[in-house]
Amino acid sequence: MTIIYMDNNATTRVAPEVFEALMPYLTDDYFNPSSLYEPAHGPAEAITAARRMVAKLLGKARPDEILFTSCATESNNTAVFGTIAANQERRHIVTTGVEHPAIFSVGEDLQRRGLDVDFVPVDSDGNIDKMEFVRALRPDTLMVSVMHANNETGVIYPVGELSRITKETDPSIVFHTDATQTVGKLPIDLRDSFRNVDLLSFSGHKLHAPKGIGALYIRRGTRCRPFLLGGHQEDGRRAGTENVAFIVGLAKALELAMERHDEDEARIVAMRDRLERELLARIPYLEVNGKNAPRLSNTLNVACHFIEGEGILYQLSAQGICASSGSACTSGSLEPSHVLRAMHIPFSAIHGSVRFSLSRYNTDAEIDTVIEVFPGIVDSLRRLSPYWDVKKNEPRPEAMEMLTQTEMPEVRDDGEDTKIRGRIS
Amino acid sequence: MTWNYSKKTTELFMAAVSGQPGTHLGEIEDADGFGEHGSISCGDALRFTFRVERHPTDPQLDKITEARYLTFGCTSAIAASEALCAIIEEGDFTPIGALEITNQDIVKYLDGLPQAKIHCSVMGAEALEAAVFNWAQKRGVDLADLGVDIRRDEQEEGRLVCTCFGLTEPYIIRKIEELEMKTIADITNAIKAGGACMSCHHTPGGLQDLLDKVNGSRPTTMKQLPVLPMARAPKAQPPTEMSPFKFAKKVEEVIDSYVRPQLAKDAGDIEIVDIKDTKVYCTMKGACADCVGSQNTIKMLVEQALKDQIDQRIQVIEV
Repeated sequence: MTIIYMDNNATTRVAPEVFEALMPYLTDDYFNPSSLYEPAHGPAEAITAARRMVAKLLGKARPDEILFTSCATESNNTAVFGTIAANQERRHIVTTGVEHPAIFSVGEDLQRRGLDVDFVPVDSDGNIDKMEFVRALRPDTLMVSVMHANNETGVIYPVGELSRITKETDPSIVFHTDATQTVGKLPIDLRDSFRNVDLLSFSGHKLHAPKGIGALYIRRGTRCRPFLLGGHQEDGRRAGTENVAFIVGLAKALELAMERHDEDEARIVAMRDRLERELLARIPYLEVNGKNAPRLSNTLNVACHFIEGEGILYQLSAQGICASSGSACTSGSLEPSHVLRAMHIPFSAIHGSVRFSLSRYNTDAEIDTVIEVFPGIVDSLRRLSPYWDVKKNEPRPEAMEMLTQTEMPEVRDDGEDTKIRGRIS
Repeated sequence: MTWNYSKKTTELFMAAVSGQPGTHLGEIEDADGFGEHGSISCGDALRFTFRVERHPTDPQLDKITEARYLTFGCTSAIAASEALCAIIEEGDFTPIGALEITNQDIVKYLDGLPQAKIHCSVMGAEALEAAVFNWAQKRGVDLADLGVDIRRDEQEEGRLVCTCFGLTEPYIIRKIEELEMKTIADITNAIKAGGACMSCHHTPGGLQDLLDKVNGSRPTTMKQLPVLPMARAPKAQPPTEMSPFKFAKKVEEVIDSYVRPQLAKDAGDIEIVDIKDTKVYCTMKGACADCVGSQNTIKMLVEQALKDQIDQRIQVIEV
């Protein structure tokens, strides 16, 4: 069976050009770049060149501002814990309710450790509430962390503007952004639109480099303690033998993404828009999550009311189509996506949300297949659903009110005439 | 998390969604037994109905002839619903006999379920039980006389333990006993309790306490988490001669009397969003909102006016 891969916000295939560039460092040039003998110069220089390339492509950053890490999660953890360790006198952090778990869970953990963390809310399209953002800033605010684009919905956040507001309020607040979904896709210029950003995280495997490589930009002068200790690598800011091959791969992948950006972007957005249009035309009670917000051109997150995402994914997978869902059954915990919850998507839709995320390797023929297959899958599950009227092909009358229900049913423990488990009907 | 369902589970699921003959999708109208479990907010819900062949004299000898389900849920929830109906139709059960069917029978029929999906089989058993109680009511059978514990539903209106899934102490205790659960993970896998926010795990009266109540407690020592230095008190406000209230009033006055009329000439307007110390946050409205020069307007007109008329330290920030 041929695989149709539409889960590129989860990970991407390694580009052949990237594979070619990194291979020599796994075979012939395997030496430790910290060693002094002649053969080790090759790998050491390869890292220097890669660092220079990455810095240049992020808007003429300085090479010494780029730190290579193992993944974006490490970059995010380093940014947050490193900043806290270096600035003990301030204990308040501002972030959003829709961050990737690599920031969101860190924020929750910081609360348990006694720091003040504010999660700024978003509206039903996923846009950040700017007024709430301003109100959240305090005299003892240490750090602000806002993602550049959301991995689930693709909604883009005005990082340039938020960082300006932050710095005008108090220049000593450290501004961090998680740009994992946007590096190589959206313009990032650390000398211009992002000049107020102090820390920026991203990883390689979202842009056709291998898994296991990430980077953290640390603007010169930003106070940030190392997270990993034990060696002098990366100027003592991140210990551990450098992953030479993957560092080379990351730089190559970023170079490739920038080179091909305009061409790829035009193709991808055309495919995504067609997929969105056709699915909306063919399926009733289908909604696009984040539809009125600026979104990444490769991401489509649709909510199918009254069915559960795992059954959709399973049937898609049976046809070779790879996508993902924010439903509880696919999350590993029993809780549905905190991102869709934060957007107040009704429960009737939150469990039935499916994300398609494209890359330059997708084709129009693949889009055709999904357009053909997806409506049938939705239909097959709705026939099983106790909330769906098959004859009229719409929700049953008693289920209509659930289309707007965004909170758990009120459960009281005083007994009297309360349904204990919020039963159906 | 990849799928590790048994072959039987996936076969039943695919048969159900493709509507193959022999599957039990649907709802019986005027059913003899009707039961539901779950809710849309929890992520799965099952409506189970059955029809009986009525015994002319003794309702207790009614035979279940037909069973149907409608399910909102994942692959294993749908497969478990199929399994439940198949077991009942194949087994020639009386409704009271059907109460003997447990979630373990469903798991066995499916050739096993992943640990995290056990709750799907529990949902099946719960809906069946509800349907049998419904049948008993309709047929005037007194289950209590037969030694069946029918007070369960009432008992379950007790203290709420898991607020995420709305589960009460009597219900969780009963399930711990019935399913012989030993750990919090067991509870979460079977009935979802404690699977979302997790705050009920170790609180007083929480899941661990209920497990101890049923299984006997083990002495544990609580690990003390290190307490990090707390936030230092916010820095004192810069010494302004005015109170924050008076200061805000004054800013408004200047904006109203001087800035607004200026902006109105160009069909624009301004709104104050927030004031922190001497920082004034504003949004430009009307024609000014889309104007490329709004940054300059803010600095040269608004900020300068406020500086001149109130305090030199004032800084205006556009939002």
